[in-house]
Amino acid sequence: MRSGNGDNTQPFSISSIITFFILSSATLFADEYLISYRSVIQDAIVYNETLTVSHAMQKCSQNELLNNEALLLPLKKSKNLKTIILQNYEEFLEYLQKSGMKVEHFQETRNSINHATTRLTFQTHCFKVDFNDNFVTIAPLK
Amino acid sequence: MKYSLLLAALLSIVSCAATDSVKTQVAPANSTITVVCPTGSCSHAAAVEKVDKPVVNTPTVKKAQNDDGMVLSENKPLLISVVGQGVAPINTASPAQAYALAKRAAVADAYRLIAEKVKGVRIDGQDLVQNMMVKRSTVRTSVTAMVRNANIVETTFKEGLCEVEMEITLNRSQFPQ
Repeated sequence: MRSGNGDNTQPFSISSIITFFILSSATLFADEYLISYRSVIQDAIVYNETLTVSHAMQKCSQNELLNNEALLLPLKKSKNLKTIILQNYEEFLEYLQKSGMKVEHFQETRNSINHATTRLTFQTHCFKVDFNDNFVTIAPLK
Repeated sequence: MKYSLLLAALLSIVSCAATDSVKTQVAPANSTITVVCPTGSCSHAAAVEKVDKPVVNTPTVKKAQNDDGMVLSENKPLLISVVGQGVAPINTASPAQAYALAKRAAVADAYRLIAEKVKGVRIDGQDLVQNMMVKRSTVRTSVTAMVRNANIVETTFKEGLCEVEMEITLNRSQFPQ
């Protein structure tokens, strides 16, 4: 028989186990996406721009999250990540740029005629994506 | 006899002093070279400093570095600000698209400027001379860098030209020692 000294540790432990299970299952079932971006600018005019978003076909080897802040994007109708990103393109692009962009610039001046090409590349990176009711959380993995 | 020896010694000392002063007057032509190395591990900077040390007037060099403020010190972060420019293409569907594309180009230009300021530019030149005449003159410049945590401060769009002001803060701890 239980003593009446207010030992309520058991219900707390059960609730904590349930919470832990829910959280861990949420992280387990979070989708992983591979995202890359590349833009080519020739003579100060955008020549080509490519954003690639693909579902990771196998689990990303990295598990830890980077220190970078996660990005929250509002979810409207579509649950397709690329559509959501395209709806909030400027915001997402700024987020990618803060994460780090590779800059390659080439300029050639031949007989006083100048041609310049700049390439901005965000190399393919794995992101953990959580779809919630009203928003999507995108966080980079290490 | 004693006095003549003393006079000769005095003369030789004076002549030595005169040659030394000539050297110090000639040297400052090289002393204007300032090498900025943000990583702090630049071997060329050390070499230049070693060569210049005996002849360079050190207080002026220190003053130049302080005036520029471009040397990355341990406790003071360095703020680099650039303005990138981009142009909208001629055949755009709407003014909004023109703005977006011009901004994209301006951001890329700002990134390029940051990379050039922080990392430096590689320059290759080639001149083709035929029959004592320059046929072709080519200058190629290039830079490759990885830029993180650059912030857009201001964006302006006027008459098809977009200007993006961008800033980046550099800390000494960001660079491997």
